[in-house]
Amino acid sequence: MEVTFKDVSLSYDGTREILHHLNFTIPEGTLVSILGPSGCGKSTTLMMISGLLAPTSGKIFFGDKDVTKQDALARKVGMVFQNYALYPHLTVLENIMFPLKMAKVKKPERKKRALELAKLVHVEDQINKKPGALSGGQQQRVAIARALAKEPSLLLLDEPLSNLDARLRIEMREEIRRIQQETGVTTIFVTHDQDEALHISDHIMVLNNGDMQQFSSAETLYDNPSNLFVAKFIGEPVINTLAIADFQGELDQHVPADILKQAVSVGIRPEALQDHDSGDDTIAAIETTVKEFEKYGREKNAQLDFHGKKLLTTEIENTLEKEQKLTLYLQKSGFYLFDQDGKRIFGGDQDVK
Amino acid sequence: MLNEKPTLKSTAKAFLYLLPMLLITVTFNIYPIIKSFMMSFYTKYDFFTDKVSRIGWDNFKFIFSDPDFHIAVKNTLIFVVGVVPLTVIISLVIALLLNKIKWLSGLFRTVYFLPFVTSTVAIAQVWHWIYNSDYGLLNYFLSLFGVNPISWLESPKYAMLSLIIMSIWKNLGFNIVLFLVGLNSINERYYQAAKIDGANSWHQFTNVTLPLLSPITFLVTINGVIGSFKAFDQIFALFNGNPGPSKSALTIVYYLYQKFYTEWKYGIAAASGVVLFFMILVVTVIQLSYSKKHVHY
Ligand SMILES: Nc1ncnc2c1ncn2[C@@H]1O[C@H](COP(=O)(O)OP(=O)(O)OP(=O)(O)O)[C@@H](O)[C@H]1O
Ligand SMILES: [Mg+2]
Repeated sequence: MEVTFKDVSLSYDGTREILHHLNFTIPEGTLVSILGPSGCGKSTTLMMISGLLAPTSGKIFFGDKDVTKQDALARKVGMVFQNYALYPHLTVLENIMFPLKMAKVKKPERKKRALELAKLVHVEDQINKKPGALSGGQQQRVAIARALAKEPSLLLLDEPLSNLDARLRIEMREEIRRIQQETGVTTIFVTHDQDEALHISDHIMVLNNGDMQQFSSAETLYDNPSNLFVAKFIGEPVINTLAIADFQGELDQHVPADILKQAVSVGIRPEALQDHDSGDDTIAAIETTVKEFEKYGREKNAQLDFHGKKLLTTEIENTLEKEQKLTLYLQKSGFYLFDQDGKRIFGGDQDVK
Repeated sequence: MLNEKPTLKSTAKAFLYLLPMLLITVTFNIYPIIKSFMMSFYTKYDFFTDKVSRIGWDNFKFIFSDPDFHIAVKNTLIFVVGVVPLTVIISLVIALLLNKIKWLSGLFRTVYFLPFVTSTVAIAQVWHWIYNSDYGLLNYFLSLFGVNPISWLESPKYAMLSLIIMSIWKNLGFNIVLFLVGLNSINERYYQAAKIDGANSWHQFTNVTLPLLSPITFLVTINGVIGSFKAFDQIFALFNGNPGPSKSALTIVYYLYQKFYTEWKYGIAAASGVVLFFMILVVTVIQLSYSKKHVHY
């Protein structure tokens, strides 16, 4: 089911606005991640989609149907809560069966489907326990099974993997992706783990302080961040950020003068600083001093000093000595300029051939 | 440590902690119970010199063939069955309504708590007036619907009903407060999950509220059963020191009181107390075993 927000704002207490004028459309059958730092309003957005929370202003559409006034019961979405909210008095199996019971599915059928789901999320050996006797990760998986039980046309997942260990996390992530692609259920997946978002989703919505920063594919997010926040938030290791004043004429011949005049911040991805000239893609060269040099297996990282500012690069070919002078070549892909409001004004697709 | 095994030392330590409480309990609870059990077998006994001349089963034989005692047992059971379920249901319903209007519940909590802290005698006086057949509030109210005046307190037919109504009213306050605490402790997220899972208000009530409230319901029920089995003071006050017209409100404890204080038959009084003790014990054990299955902690 396609989900559309039209100018949706929300305030819990009527004074402090948590979400500001959200506008977006989540296409039918896709998996969209909502990504953002803690407290930015991800769970609140999900609650509004589910119908547990009504927007203070604006409209919500499922397909072309206005559901703003409908409550959670009428919207019939599936949801995994951040705090799981498993029924403490029911066993694992009863928890998974509960939505089916409410949908008046016959008991044997209910049980059969619940058992299948329990297997799917690997809790089949826990089905007779109460949630209180499960580990956090097991509870999380039961919550996923419960949400899938009623085969919703819209599935909302609020950090459903946050309590799992690294391997299980990847496994469950693949599992969710597989189920999503098999059933074609429109899925909205909240996370603050960018790696998770980049791997699982068709599109990513980046949220900060209740404002939507960017809504695009993972690749676009990385290659064409629309602002400084997104550029800093996406990417590991984090993008190098400098003030334009830290440069002493190195950019003058390579960036149009009118853009350079508006620019306030400079973002350079660590892989866009190379110790060798790559020809066409190289935009400028800068002189730096090596401060740290580390080699892990194939990876070579260096910390450099550039006019008193720290830079990090991951694209070193030669072995370096501390305090050695080094010329670095700035690559066009991975070099951005941002204006006073943080908006990107140079770099990305528009300036890469 | 959560999974510590009891050792001799830890048991001894626990015992030391318990000692002051144990002393008080033994002196004021255990000893009187044992004493009254023993007394129920004294068939010839001088209360003032504490001299027992004969013991035997005669006291029990007497009460089991005493028609008054039969009436008392029957009345007690009617009273318990009449009071407890209604108390639980009505106080739960009122608590649910109060819980919906949060800003009022503070005020109402105080209002409903008043009966609990007011003396039974004062309450009975008020109800005495409400039940008055000539100028009572209840008959006036019923007359609005064309019901003829009823002698609530004077007719053997209505005396037990009057007593039950007043007792329910008196019990409500405390139980409502208990239920309100229970309702407040149910986390909102279970209702959110239930809504997402497709449960309407009624299903939310039966699948979330009732099971998560069951420890409180259990407490209220046990408390109500025990309290109702021991009904005495409200009867004494409502019927001015009588067990109701033609013994229509004679309960076991009232019987015990009569035997002890007005007839000085200590052995018989003690025997009726022992019977009451076992009745309560049986009912409580049944409730406990039921709770194992149906109460979720
Ligand atoms: N019930 C509530 N009443 C008032 N304010 C709330 C309530 N729930 C959340 N908030 C506030 O709304 C903001 C957004 O909260 P939200 O739970 O949506 O964040 P989040 O992005 O999900 O964060 P996290 O990643 O930590 O889960 C926070 O500032 C929070 O304090
Ligand atoms: Mg959250």
